[in-house]
Amino acid sequence: MSQLLSLDEASRCMKCGFCMSSCPVYNVDHIESHVARGRNVLIRWASNSSIPVDGAYGERLSYCLLCGRCEAVCPAKVPSTAINVAARTDLVNKRGLAWLQRFVYRGILKHRNLMARLLGLAALVPGVSVKDGKPLRHLADSVSIFTKGLSIPKLSRPFLSTRLPSRMTPPKGVHVRGQVAIFPGCAFEFFFADMGERMALALVEAGFEVVYPQGLTCCGLAVRSAGDLTTAQLMARHNIEILSHFDHIVTGCATCSSALKDYGRWFPDNDAWQPRASSLSAKVSDLSEFLVSEGFQPKPAEPVTITYHDPCHLKWRQAIRDEPRRLLGSIEGLKYVEMEGADECCGLGGAFGITHREASLAIQAKKMQSIRRTGAQIVVTSCPGCLIQLRDGARRHGLPIEVMHISQLIGGQREQPHRLRSAGDGGGQSPRPKSAP
Amino acid sequence: MSLSASTLGKLRHIVGAKGLLTTQVDLAAYSFDGTSNWKGMPEAVVFPTTAEQVSQILKLATEQGIPVTPRGAGSNLSGGSVPVLGGIVLCTTRMNKIIEIDTANFTVTTEVGVVLNDLNRELARHKLFFPPDPQSFLAATIGGCVSENAGGPYAVKYGVFKHYILGMTAVLPTGAILALGGTTVKNVTGYDLPQLLCGSEGTLAVITQVTLHLLPLPPARQTVLAVFNEVITAGQAVHRVLAEGILPAKIELMDNWVIRRIEEVAPLGLPLEAEAIILFELDGIPAAVERETEGVINICRQEGAMEARAAYDVKEAENFWTARRAGFSAIFGNSPTVFAEDVTVPPSRLPEVIGRIQKIAEKYDLTIVILGHAGDGNLHPCVLTDEKNAEHYGRAEKAVHDIFSAALEMGGSISGEHGIGLEKKQFLKQAMPPEAIDLLRGIKKVFDPSGILNPGKIWEEA
Repeated sequence: MSQLLSLDEASRCMKCGFCMSSCPVYNVDHIESHVARGRNVLIRWASNSSIPVDGAYGERLSYCLLCGRCEAVCPAKVPSTAINVAARTDLVNKRGLAWLQRFVYRGILKHRNLMARLLGLAALVPGVSVKDGKPLRHLADSVSIFTKGLSIPKLSRPFLSTRLPSRMTPPKGVHVRGQVAIFPGCAFEFFFADMGERMALALVEAGFEVVYPQGLTCCGLAVRSAGDLTTAQLMARHNIEILSHFDHIVTGCATCSSALKDYGRWFPDNDAWQPRASSLSAKVSDLSEFLVSEGFQPKPAEPVTITYHDPCHLKWRQAIRDEPRRLLGSIEGLKYVEMEGADECCGLGGAFGITHREASLAIQAKKMQSIRRTGAQIVVTSCPGCLIQLRDGARRHGLPIEVMHISQLIGGQREQPHRLRSAGDGGGQSPRPKSAP
Repeated sequence: MSLSASTLGKLRHIVGAKGLLTTQVDLAAYSFDGTSNWKGMPEAVVFPTTAEQVSQILKLATEQGIPVTPRGAGSNLSGGSVPVLGGIVLCTTRMNKIIEIDTANFTVTTEVGVVLNDLNRELARHKLFFPPDPQSFLAATIGGCVSENAGGPYAVKYGVFKHYILGMTAVLPTGAILALGGTTVKNVTGYDLPQLLCGSEGTLAVITQVTLHLLPLPPARQTVLAVFNEVITAGQAVHRVLAEGILPAKIELMDNWVIRRIEEVAPLGLPLEAEAIILFELDGIPAAVERETEGVINICRQEGAMEARAAYDVKEAENFWTARRAGFSAIFGNSPTVFAEDVTVPPSRLPEVIGRIQKIAEKYDLTIVILGHAGDGNLHPCVLTDEKNAEHYGRAEKAVHDIFSAALEMGGSISGEHGIGLEKKQFLKQAMPPEAIDLLRGIKKVFDPSGILNPGKIWEEA
């Protein structure tokens, strides 16, 4: 596999240590191999064989959320997260994947239909899915032994692809401004289908014809981050094939948008797919980014105090900070309070939240403290991953707060926190979108 | 030498399993500091959280003759925290609680693992301010700063770490835990031991807690940018500002090379043809800041500045200072090996020493970049070289030697704020009479009879 980024990049680190001030993981245990400076040195030495490329080395590479916060403070602009991913890729090339990773990445994530069938079967088991009313939780909770206690969101029934018509048009009287394809991502498709519906509704209300493209697969970021570039490229090519027919691709998942926008860097310059990947990346927007650029005005809401949590994949990977705040700030009736440390990681970081549960919980605890201090009733975010971690934290720390995805406040009919609560984890019935004839 | 399983077991017993690192990959991450080429592999890294644990570690090390290298964030620029003789790295980063901010008496008592920037952020909530500002403040721990007697741009008006140390808790290599100094600015009680430990580079004792003097946070600040087409005239302008009775909080100089790199990396619209840029910061009560800002601008113009103006707003001022901090990384990013020196001369001789450095660069055909603290005469001439190119590296070493000689001839010093560590120990005898170095050795012997604490630093073995 060709190298996308030379590990020599790590030698541009001048060891000033500024990254230590901003690294959520380092600030849990203060261990040098868990921060960009230390890791960059290890990566450099591993690549010239000064230290062994072994399991212990891989473990240190994995001790990173890939949040990208260190890069924002780095005076030498060292791309430390990309270097880490390149080092992980190098490690996978040399040592192969663990069987569980191979099974999940190559056996399941790559095959959306299989994933749907498996999850569909699981959803039939009482307690694992949300259909209507209050679901039983004990079974889903028992599954959480596999996630070391991280509460698993309930499966949506039916999945988003069956809820949404393949094409939705703006209501009569609304000027049609164009067409967008939505990229639901695994989370909206299988777990948060109601949020996916609301995202579609917001786009329709903004005057766009919304298409739900058939046959998409996972964005591939988890696979790419774990160093399995081959599978990640396969997934990217599959998605590019389907999405390249559209002018605008919008997603409400910060992780998916950061992955799709990065596809151009998943292929080396001499790969025929590189230009196609780059041109696709240029057409991708995060939901708030797209709606703000289109001048979307959300409807008024009941008075409630809200705050916002910046997903790392939005703020550090895409520099999207103001757009969600502008959208939320423009909702008449809502009182917005800024959270101190709003851009500090929730601690999930994909698989990190499970593989390094203890560190993840320490970072989560800090976040919960910041949220508590705001006194807000709702904490809003733009990433399903953050949403899972924040809900898990709120439950763990007994925070009387709703965690909502931004789409739930801007698309369709307003939901109130008490309604949401009685309906369980965001499983309230959403108004059906208007289908095209 | 390798630590025995029983020694590791004892260390584990003292600090707990989570407070001890022993795998090769973890140890490798503690084998360097902020310099480009000093390395030394430790055999264990320990993270004590109390003075008692530090005491037990040092007692054990003294009994068994194991070298102990104290380390904070390891952002130092002297090789001082590199464990050149192996042994134990004693990392203080988990002793990171601010114990008390005494707003009535303008003091703070804090554990040494607290990061300088975090301390100031906390102090700002109380409208308080701890001025010494080594530019590694985002990473540097209080303990490291005290041990290196660190300073930064604020030194011209506010001095360096040693001017703020009132008291401390220190652990001797024998394991004795001592409370030294006190909590008052005025305190003449025997030899001033906190002052002795400050700047001792971790060779005498391990400091676990300090009490520092604070100042009220100045209510107003303003940044002035002045651009000169000659380094000499920039130096003269700095001298006149001070002579006219204006005492800026910071006076920083960057040369043409740095200006160009900054513009490449993060363009600020600095004039590329400028030979030198001086950044001033004025602080105090608003009316005074306003008048001093005008004064500085007028003087710079009279002295021939191409441009002299105040920052348009806080954001622009921040950008200027970020650029100044980025200067160092630009230097390191452009060269495999860098001698980042920090010679100091009396401020009036600044233009002269810059002239000498430029001649040295010509003589050895090297790039020597200059940035530094123009107000206090502390310069950072950075010699760009490559340790893998023996011939080039040899010329660079000679140039460094000549720079030190120039500074000493002018009544200056070979290190203003980085310390001696490994980086400058071969030059110590140039800067100090042999009898004085013997005194250092004697003092070391009194504190650390078995010589376990940060061995191999500051002076060469006789």
